[in-house]
Amino acid sequence: MDPQLLISGVIFGLSMASVYFLMSIGLSLCFGLMRIISLDQLLYYSVGAYLAYTVSVVSGNVWLGVLAGVVVSGMTALVVERFIFRRIYERELTFSMITSFGILIGGVGVIKAIWGVVPRPVRMPTPDLVTIFGTEVPVYRLMVVGIAALVYIGIWLFLNKTIIGKAIRAGIEDVEHVEGLGINVSRLFTITFVIAGALSGLAGGLHAPLIMVDPQMGLEVLAFVFMVVIIGGLGSIKGTLVSSLIVGQVVSIGSLIYAPLALMAPFAIMLLILLVKPTGLYGSTMVKK
Amino acid sequence: MVNAFKWWWGILLAFGMLAAARFFLPLPFVNEVLIFSIYTIGCSFLLGRVGFISFGQPAYLAFGAYGTAFYLFYVGTNPYVGILAGVACGFICASIVGPLFVRLRSDYFALVNLALAVIVFYMMQKVLAEYTKGDNGLWFLTNIASTPVLNLGRSSEFFIFATLVAIAVWGLYKYLDDTIFGACCLATKINEAKLQFLGYSNYKVRLLAFIVANTTTALAGALYAVYLGSVSPEITAAARAADPVVVTILGGVGTLFGPLVGTLAYTALRDVLSKFIGNWELFVGFILVFIMLAGEKGLWGSAAPWLQKLFSRGKAADAMGGERR
Amino acid sequence: MAEQSLVVRGLNVAYGESKVLFDIDFDVAPNQIVCCVGRNGAGKTTLLKSIAGFLKPSSGAATAGGVNLIGHRPYDVARMGVKYVPQDKKVFSDLTVRENLELGSYATKDYNWDRVMEYFPKLKILLDRKAGFLSGGERQMLMIGRATLGNPKVMLIDEPTEGLAPSIVTHLKYVFGELSKSAALVIVEQNLPLVCGIAHKVYAMRDGRIVAELPGGAALTPAACEPYL
Repeated sequence: MDPQLLISGVIFGLSMASVYFLMSIGLSLCFGLMRIISLDQLLYYSVGAYLAYTVSVVSGNVWLGVLAGVVVSGMTALVVERFIFRRIYERELTFSMITSFGILIGGVGVIKAIWGVVPRPVRMPTPDLVTIFGTEVPVYRLMVVGIAALVYIGIWLFLNKTIIGKAIRAGIEDVEHVEGLGINVSRLFTITFVIAGALSGLAGGLHAPLIMVDPQMGLEVLAFVFMVVIIGGLGSIKGTLVSSLIVGQVVSIGSLIYAPLALMAPFAIMLLILLVKPTGLYGSTMVKK
Repeated sequence: MVNAFKWWWGILLAFGMLAAARFFLPLPFVNEVLIFSIYTIGCSFLLGRVGFISFGQPAYLAFGAYGTAFYLFYVGTNPYVGILAGVACGFICASIVGPLFVRLRSDYFALVNLALAVIVFYMMQKVLAEYTKGDNGLWFLTNIASTPVLNLGRSSEFFIFATLVAIAVWGLYKYLDDTIFGACCLATKINEAKLQFLGYSNYKVRLLAFIVANTTTALAGALYAVYLGSVSPEITAAARAADPVVVTILGGVGTLFGPLVGTLAYTALRDVLSKFIGNWELFVGFILVFIMLAGEKGLWGSAAPWLQKLFSRGKAADAMGGERR
Repeated sequence: MAEQSLVVRGLNVAYGESKVLFDIDFDVAPNQIVCCVGRNGAGKTTLLKSIAGFLKPSSGAATAGGVNLIGHRPYDVARMGVKYVPQDKKVFSDLTVRENLELGSYATKDYNWDRVMEYFPKLKILLDRKAGFLSGGERQMLMIGRATLGNPKVMLIDEPTEGLAPSIVTHLKYVFGELSKSAALVIVEQNLPLVCGIAHKVYAMRDGRIVAELPGGAALTPAACEPYL
């Protein structure tokens, strides 16, 4: 294969992996701590993208738009958590899945009502190209990868160095026990949910200049995010990182070889991994108590 | 004879009422309700009896629909054979993915199924575009030959056929509920370990339930294909993945008549409301959240005890046989 | 009589349809060690969990030092000075011993670990070890040590010596004695010699009811408790 094509393919795959990683980290944390499957993360992704669009059109600065997307999706997540999820934490897993799917579908309806159904383009923050090993690569894609790397480091520091992060890690092991120590777990839940929502918003905002923003975008990325979460194992940050890198590269390199493969190959890999290990690469066997 | 009647009379009454409704409701509406309720009963069975929630039902609907469509578009003209082809296609696909999927925990099961629906969508839209004609879909209404007895090409006669099929499907599910298999399904939902101690294999029970439910879903897909005379990838779009789940929840999870009541309410609401608000998703989403927060009993789940009381006041004995739930 | 540390009156608890606790009455005086004996499934753990707020009783009252406990979330109950130490030695195995203790400190705003280290000097050298790698005895030390942070008024300890070596049991016995100088202890325990060695009072439970109340002292022997096991 042409090495130039390969290098740009790898960079493309890394940028896709970054978006998938930012999204699935939220899903994974929410599952780990609260034992919910929060499909509405895909809504915050769309919200982030649409805010990036609107603010960048109004202010002319895409980065400002991404920032606004993060803030607004975090706030939306806060409202949803307060009014809906708080009531259903103690229910079965399927319960949260159905409810959050309802929020997702309803939210897509709200987005349609506000922004309409026409896909919108978002300007690239920087049109520059940089040469790596003789291949021209868009700087913006590298920036996306860099931001995702920073987020990973940030999340790692947060979970390992702050007391709230330690409490979240402890809660992933046994939330009842954390509560028994005297730690207000519902505040812990809110913090985790808002972080998850804000990261999904960040993913949407960063992804927006690379694609067209449209109301169904959350549903389009859904299959990939699911595959990432399933391959990596629910509740594991490390697994999420590894599997998003796998899925990103498979999508990108696969499409270089044979375009339809880009969609089918990750799915085949997912089935294979589930065949060997039904809980994903790094998934634990924990179940909801 | 009397016992058989007692066993059937709930189902016959329900569909008799629906058949009567045909005379004062528009035919497309009643047909839609029939097919949709068959579509939903599989999902309701999986969720209510086995405890598996599947957002991937559109995938199995598509297997059935495309099985029928391929037959009628490329091979033959007989709609009955077409429907059989669709059901067979659904059965084969469910049997292939089933052994893999039912080993999963319920959360992974839901995610994998939804991923499957999206993959099938792309497969039909892009990968197999050569055969499925992509977004345009396959149109084969003119290929459907008229058949003796019941001519499925005419929607009034299709209605009779669909009613008979629905009665058969409901009979099957009622029968399944009555057998030891139904009890086993419920047991895997409630306590896996204890079922194993009794000497039943969770895996086999789930696999059988999975195949039965998804073959039923494929049957609904096949009926759609014949009824509409066309199939497009739209049938398996992720945005529609919520439909059977919404209807299941709306009607009441795991009840025999929940899917029927839910479908009636849902289809009616959709037809009426979509005239007033163009934004259908908004409504579906919020109704789903609302029902979940309100207690997830659904329409039939709330109405059934009340109906039972009403019946038992009149004819205590009959009510016992007919209204199990 | 001085105000009781823990008073339970008419406590009924049910899991769904099946009732597991029936009209439990229960008193613990300050600085008292009260032991709870009974067969598996008698409702001992359920009793502790209901007091600690993990289960919602269908009726009844529980107060600690005159403060109502029922209807509060478990973390509120813990903050009111009623600490629950669960069975199975559930430390956070992915966290180090230090982090485990930090969480206890964070919850209670008590950052003074002197007492923990005084009772369990061994923890000092294990501080940076992952709790998952500790032995059963070390885990139990960590659990009880962590629970002493914030100086609780009442400690509810579930099966502390189950599966532990005799030397550790002896050490725990000493620690319980020390703890009772500042708190009231309710200990669910199957080890009768230990129970008879420390208890000021024993409640025997069977099938969700308290069937006997045995006073402490010389009359309390393993043989006296035996019929209730």
